[in-house]
Amino acid sequence: MHRSRYCDGLTRRDCVRLGTAAIFGLPFATHKLLAAGEKKKDLSLIYVFLHGGMSTIDSFDMKPDAPAEFRGEFQPIATKLPGLQVCEHLPKVAKEVDKFSLVRSFTHHNSDHGAADHYMLTGYFPGPGFNGNLSPNNHKPAFGSIISKKLGARGSVPPYVCVPRMHPSCGSAHLGAAHAPFVIDGDPSAANFSVPDLVPPPVIAADRIEDRRKLLGDVDRFQKSAETRANKNAGAVETFRGKAFDLMTSSEAKRAFDIAAEPEKLRDAYGRHSLGQSCLLARRMVEAGVRCVTVDHSNWDTHDGNFRVLKGTLLPQFDAAISTLFRDLSDRGMLDSTLVVVTGEFGRTPRINKNAGRDHWGPGFTVLLGGGGLKNGQVVGSTNARAERPADNPYGPEDLAVTLCTQLGIDPQTEFHTPDGRPIMVTNGGKLIKELV
Amino acid sequence: MARYVLTLAMLTHSVQLMAAADAFHFENQISPLLARYNCNSSGCHGKAEGQGGFKLSVFGFDPVADYASIVKEARGRRVMASAAEESLFLRKATGRTPHGGGTRIKGESNDYRTLRDWIAAGMPVGDPNAPRVSAIRVEPPEKVMANRATLPVRAFAQFTDGRETEVTEHAKYQTNHETLAAVSVEGVITTGDAPGEVAVMASYLGNVAVCRVMIPQVGKNAGRQLPQFNFIDEWVDRKLAKLNIVASEVCDDATFFRRVHLDLVGLLPKPDEVRAFLSDTAKDKRAKAIDRLIQRPEFADLMALRWADLLRVNRQVLGPERAYAYFRWVRESFAKNKPFDEFARELVTAEGPVSETPPANFFKVAIKPGDAASTLSQVFLGIRIACAECHHHPSDRWTQADYAGMLAFFAPVTSRGSKDADAILSVGDPVTRHPRSGSPVYAHALGVEEPTVNPAGDRRVVLASWMTEPSNPYFARNFANRIWANLLGRGIVEPVDDVRATNPPSNPDLLDALAKFAAQKKYDTRELVRLICNSRAYQSSSVPNASNEKDEQNFSRVAFRRPSAEVLLDMIGQATGVGDRFAGLPPGTRAVQVWDSETKQPFLKLFGRPSRTSACECERNAEPSTAQVLNLMNSPDLQWKLSHVSGNVAKWQGSGHDAEKICEEIYLTVFSRRPTKAERENAVQHLKARSDRRAAIEDLTWALLNSLEFSFNH
Repeated sequence: MHRSRYCDGLTRRDCVRLGTAAIFGLPFATHKLLAAGEKKKDLSLIYVFLHGGMSTIDSFDMKPDAPAEFRGEFQPIATKLPGLQVCEHLPKVAKEVDKFSLVRSFTHHNSDHGAADHYMLTGYFPGPGFNGNLSPNNHKPAFGSIISKKLGARGSVPPYVCVPRMHPSCGSAHLGAAHAPFVIDGDPSAANFSVPDLVPPPVIAADRIEDRRKLLGDVDRFQKSAETRANKNAGAVETFRGKAFDLMTSSEAKRAFDIAAEPEKLRDAYGRHSLGQSCLLARRMVEAGVRCVTVDHSNWDTHDGNFRVLKGTLLPQFDAAISTLFRDLSDRGMLDSTLVVVTGEFGRTPRINKNAGRDHWGPGFTVLLGGGGLKNGQVVGSTNARAERPADNPYGPEDLAVTLCTQLGIDPQTEFHTPDGRPIMVTNGGKLIKELV
Repeated sequence: MARYVLTLAMLTHSVQLMAAADAFHFENQISPLLARYNCNSSGCHGKAEGQGGFKLSVFGFDPVADYASIVKEARGRRVMASAAEESLFLRKATGRTPHGGGTRIKGESNDYRTLRDWIAAGMPVGDPNAPRVSAIRVEPPEKVMANRATLPVRAFAQFTDGRETEVTEHAKYQTNHETLAAVSVEGVITTGDAPGEVAVMASYLGNVAVCRVMIPQVGKNAGRQLPQFNFIDEWVDRKLAKLNIVASEVCDDATFFRRVHLDLVGLLPKPDEVRAFLSDTAKDKRAKAIDRLIQRPEFADLMALRWADLLRVNRQVLGPERAYAYFRWVRESFAKNKPFDEFARELVTAEGPVSETPPANFFKVAIKPGDAASTLSQVFLGIRIACAECHHHPSDRWTQADYAGMLAFFAPVTSRGSKDADAILSVGDPVTRHPRSGSPVYAHALGVEEPTVNPAGDRRVVLASWMTEPSNPYFARNFANRIWANLLGRGIVEPVDDVRATNPPSNPDLLDALAKFAAQKKYDTRELVRLICNSRAYQSSSVPNASNEKDEQNFSRVAFRRPSAEVLLDMIGQATGVGDRFAGLPPGTRAVQVWDSETKQPFLKLFGRPSRTSACECERNAEPSTAQVLNLMNSPDLQWKLSHVSGNVAKWQGSGHDAEKICEEIYLTVFSRRPTKAERENAVQHLKARSDRRAAIEDLTWALLNSLEFSFNH
């Protein structure tokens, strides 16, 4: 259901009602209505992670007046919104800029893969003991795990899914295995793509599947026994078995993962590549009830031949995938209920290096945020003349975390406990990106 | 703590206020309040970065810094002596000014008045020579409580001048088992519905004390006397009697036989072995089975896997050759039944070229002295001191000086030489300094008084002999507790590597008795395993009775345990008759024998194999997931094993046996027991009803493999 939002997340109809209440002098009605609105929030999150770090000076924060060794080869083009320009290689995105906002003054202090990835995917800068080589590194829980823990599953589909692989920082850490992502290990753009282990091997005919399930019920003397009740972990396996059966049998789950059911034309529009089809699958899954999908897309680490790679592959793929994702969500009336974040772990050095590349750059980059009841079509903050660092309104990963949680209806001050009893807050300080809410 | 730093010299504006402010003492009076209301907790202003620009030391371990934060930082805008009530510090704490942490302190409480009056008095630091808190105690120290009952505890602080004051209002309280008994901010304990034992901790200025609460099972259970097989059962039963709990019956032979196989050798018993055991009428057949199993090489494989995890045999860090040599040393130690104290000494003091001294590889993994110190404390003493690297341990007595003292043993350890002749040596006489005061800290073990000089020679030798001497309060208990936990699925201290006053053993007498036994037997691993496996506690059924269904702490029944990922994969290999191949290892290698935790194997990864980056038992993830269940049900790999031409299904199909016999073979192979009458009828009916016998056998086997009975040790 698509409803335009006005005045602080209320719909036009709510505003009319509010107005009426005010006229009739019912001051408390406002408060009640707002409270009810808080509760009804039932958003989903699609987090598109541009692994390696997108060059935002070449895409969303162009500086055509900067010296040649900064501004790069690309030209800006006009967009649907007056005064907003993006890169010439993003013509499709230029037509959808009213559906999201750009935070151009994003900044953090780290320019290392691994640590910065973790920072952007969890809102926590990693502390001592962080091992970026571990997958999952389970240092702090990813947003999807927090969502899974706080909001739970919606129907028979898992609350949190990673596609086409799991980024090492997308684990559930101290929130435990129950909130680890369901990982779709496979490229949805591959011809033979299917979700692993979701259905029995093809050699097993349908009547045998029924047989097996019936037999399993018969042979398991521990099922629902006093022993199972007295043993938490046995009970947990039973719970997960229930979830697995749900997944295997539910038509929503089947539909969610069956990307081949999408019209060819739409699949083409998203682009027949990992990013495009992952975004399309993300939309399908959200439609079926998944609360958080993390799309991990590589490789944006353009140390060499930045412009060649961006122009030849990355930007055209991005253009198709992201523009179609926003248009598709909007067409289906899902944009209001689906929060979309598109970002890398950092930006890239504004100064071009000797290999015509750009290196890691945490101090200033652009994050794209849209849908989910945020104010779309905004540009928040700006960078200095060479896009090196924020000129105003700086925001960082902690602020992103607070904004995502708040928008999703999760109190950013919620406290979790690690297995050794250490209390950890959902967010690590941070403030709301107020221009967007 | 921090007594050496609170000096007047650092406080520029307090001199003229001293006279009026004698009554106040920041460290003794104000600092505890910051802890009590969680202002300085690690989730809030105690975080490394602080919160909202205001940073306190976590748990108040650094009063000097805290004083500066409150009084001087931000140009002193947080406190106003002239209008104490209007101080930002109080406005925030009481929620009068919007505060991210909400209202922490009620406006008219005693604590509020203390803070207000302290500010009004000009924020005095207090007399640097004032008596300090040396210990605290709680009243009562232990109490038997009914379900849903309440008990207010009182806390008293003892000062260095011998004075004692009640600090009930100022101490902070915490329970170690929220569902059994909760505790309020005021120190009122409220019990729940389940029987058990709880430790409620009170902490005040870095000192901790515990009130132990026992909640017996309601109702009459007396009368039922279960057999006692050895001294373990006496201690278990004594505790159960106090709690009014009756243990479960002794389990049947088949259950015991499967359980003891999985625990001691990580394998299912073979069908013929099961048959022979079931028909054996000897009274001591269980004891004999235990004796046979602990002598098998697979026993050493299983022990090696566990200790290789804890001692971080990590190929990624060490490279394949060294990691393998290190692993071989661990395995050989258990194969030869090396006394465990000797094992610990060899590791702690390992020295020389790593090619000749495999345990020296440990210092190649734990390169930093602090890492070595905290890993070895955790593994051999069961004590986590890593917290004290940055702050006073929140729920034990360990200070940063204690941490530095342990670290100092390893400060001289270094690896020198070229790449091919790497050696671990203890050289030089480096001075370890206290991270805050900068004063030297000399090598001293936990709880031992600090000497005024570092030991001469290899300092680690001193540590190793302290660890393993008979009077050491931790080593034997840790050893006994870890072996116990491996076999019973839960430590007497749980988690096994978190020994502290505030996490007491569920059965201290039992733990002491086991530790004494271990030391008497010269840390013979097999002797201890033998003793435990022969106890009734180990041989209990997993079927609960009305009195013990809620008990999880007292070994009144055997808990379901998930086999490790490696054992489960081997079990599937045995059940299907088709094992796995592992890259770089000869055919027939079992998953348990894979020494490299990085070997690519999706099943092991999915089922929680650890990556060996820490010494925590918790790294091995035993939590189930939907993906695991899906894998067992649908993975092509399992189907491949079921339909393999030389697998068990093919064998059963080609055996020419009738449905009855096939059914029995399947049950004996997968469940290590005979089917019940009902199970047999059901299975036979299934086998006969299907025209495709092969598919019917596959499907029945599949069902058994996916059952809870198969995937747990029970």
